[in-house]
Amino acid sequence: MRTERIPGLAILKGMAFAIRQVFRPNLTVRYPEEQNPISPRHRGRLILLYDEAGTLKCETCFQCAQACPIECIDMGGVDTRNRYHVHWGAAEQYAERREESALRRSGRTVPDRVFDPFEPIDLAPLDEILAAGDYKPAAALAMLESAQAVYGHLPVAALQHIAHQTGADYASLYGMATSYPHLHFEPPVGHIVRVCRCTQCTLLGGGRVLAAFREHLGTDVGGVSPDGAVRLGVTECGGTSSGSAYVEVDGEPLPKSSPEDAATIAAALRANVPQGEAA
Amino acid sequence: MSLPILTGASEWPQVLLARAAKGPVADIAAAEAAGAWAAWRKATTELSPEVVLHTISESGLRGRGGAGYPTGAKWRDCVSQPEPVRYVVANGFEADPGAGADRTLMELDPHLVLEGTAMAAWVVGAERAIIAVSSAAPDAAERLRTAIVEAEEQGYIGLSLDGPSLTIEVREVTGSFVVGEETVLLRALEGQRAQADQRPPHPSRAGLHGKPTVVNNVKTLAAVPWIVEHGAGAYASLGTAETPGTTLLQLGGATKRSGVVEVPLGTTLRAVVDGPGGGTAGSLKALLVGGPTGGFLPPEALDTPLTYEALREAGTLAGSGTLLALDDHACLVDVATLMTRYLNDNACGKTIPCRIGTRRLSELGAAFCSGRARPTDADLLDDLAADVRDAALCGLEADAGNPLLSVMRYFAPEFEAHATRGECPAGVCQPISLAGAASS
Repeated sequence: MRTERIPGLAILKGMAFAIRQVFRPNLTVRYPEEQNPISPRHRGRLILLYDEAGTLKCETCFQCAQACPIECIDMGGVDTRNRYHVHWGAAEQYAERREESALRRSGRTVPDRVFDPFEPIDLAPLDEILAAGDYKPAAALAMLESAQAVYGHLPVAALQHIAHQTGADYASLYGMATSYPHLHFEPPVGHIVRVCRCTQCTLLGGGRVLAAFREHLGTDVGGVSPDGAVRLGVTECGGTSSGSAYVEVDGEPLPKSSPEDAATIAAALRANVPQGEAA
Repeated sequence: MSLPILTGASEWPQVLLARAAKGPVADIAAAEAAGAWAAWRKATTELSPEVVLHTISESGLRGRGGAGYPTGAKWRDCVSQPEPVRYVVANGFEADPGAGADRTLMELDPHLVLEGTAMAAWVVGAERAIIAVSSAAPDAAERLRTAIVEAEEQGYIGLSLDGPSLTIEVREVTGSFVVGEETVLLRALEGQRAQADQRPPHPSRAGLHGKPTVVNNVKTLAAVPWIVEHGAGAYASLGTAETPGTTLLQLGGATKRSGVVEVPLGTTLRAVVDGPGGGTAGSLKALLVGGPTGGFLPPEALDTPLTYEALREAGTLAGSGTLLALDDHACLVDVATLMTRYLNDNACGKTIPCRIGTRRLSELGAAFCSGRARPTDADLLDDLAADVRDAALCGLEADAGNPLLSVMRYFAPEFEAHATRGECPAGVCQPISLAGAASS
């Protein structure tokens, strides 16, 4: 080719490239203080490995699913030979996470506060909490509880601040906040319905009352109805229920509960939202 | 909001409720007048920790949290550890959302629980003890805190410059059903994610913050002062030879009277239901023993004596100590399925057989309830429940199969009606063949 005939041209080209690189702005950022814009949906890429025989190396040990703090890795299974043999695979395949995956596939956003863009918060009260806990990661649970008491919920910014200041893993903080039923990420909603799930209340129809609330509030236990008006939670009757399952609405026990009442209550609560600051 | 105390048979001894049965103990003066802290004074002035430990071992006291492990052996194991820092944790969390016996005891007679906890700490040489109370029982925590302040003012416990110090602290713990399990409770007290730990090492060797820790139910600890005061022989003569002593039971459901009653171990379930419970209003269909992880017993099995081994053999457990009587309105398959689903929702998720297996169990139960069960499902249920139990890391998992298995075992006709014909004899479920006919 013609370029090869001019001696030294390749060297000059190489030099030119190197010199251009020297004057180009840096691409490296000082992570984690600065972060490149990444799509909020980005999760990296998960690859399952195959062995030399071409068989999937995954042994269904579930370690990955267990380690994943946000449960984006999950598995489901079904017994395909009627007995004793459960075949495992992607969770969606077995409708393990039907609701969310269906939402995603239909192109709608899945409500998940943690991945929504979050607003900065006033960190002053949080710094006091951190100072009271001596910035110890071991006191993280108490800090999360105090933060929830101050902010009414656990803002993501607060979680990040605690992780940053104490040196605790964000993932483990998130894992802790999701594993304890009393910690939640959604801001306070207008109303809260709590149902007791003890055996006595179950016997008195608590299962059906809970199912009715699930249906009419459109959320499961621990969640908030899609319009952000009502949270569904659990409470404890402590053996005091009689006649019907123990249900609390906004902290006040109902004198009587039934699935039919649940529908009416759910509708009434969702209609007259703003007691607090519902979305 | 303590539960009513029921009167047991006149010959039943009162170890735990001796003071509480007369109403709330007002303050330490009233408690002392009724005998509180006498055992503590006796132990700390006349006896040595080794003597008290020997007394507890001799008395045959066993853990009232459900597993029935000998308390003396647990304490001895903790004492024999070379690690000098030890802890005592009194488990008053009472995970079963429908149970209130421990809470009632702590509210009515906090000094009894406190004295027992102090005694345990003194015996094992712990300088710190924690009484874990559910945050759903603020009254119990409040009463205990007041009692601690009073006991410190009296000089029984607290920081001391010359002698050994003992600080007792009340911690309110929030969490799900699984937090009542000892290793999970320790994680929660450490401020970590509430998940069960592999045992051994048992908490008596490596517990709270990795130090030797005695974890006892508050009912167990509350029996200690009585034993120290009256001697090991007196306690061993109560109840049966293998499981001496008394425990608290909570009666509820279809019984005529509901509340808490103190019962000597070895009493038959029938005597409890018919005596303090006053029998049932309608006909008794089943008795659920032990709370959410318990099993259903048919009326024929009511002669089962109240001991850990006999209950275990009958397919249930002492558990939270609740007896729930069910009448004909209840469909056992339905209730057992809902209980299994509750257990699944409350599983910590650490072991896969529990996290996935209990979900599959509840789905199998739901298949029976809706009449969609396949012929092989009963075998699958049996098999899966055995797998979940064998893989168990904690009590929730080990007993998660109890509700459904006990229904299969004792209530075969009702179960078969669901499994093979898609019918619900109680008319509660809405299986295919009854769709539209049943409403509630």
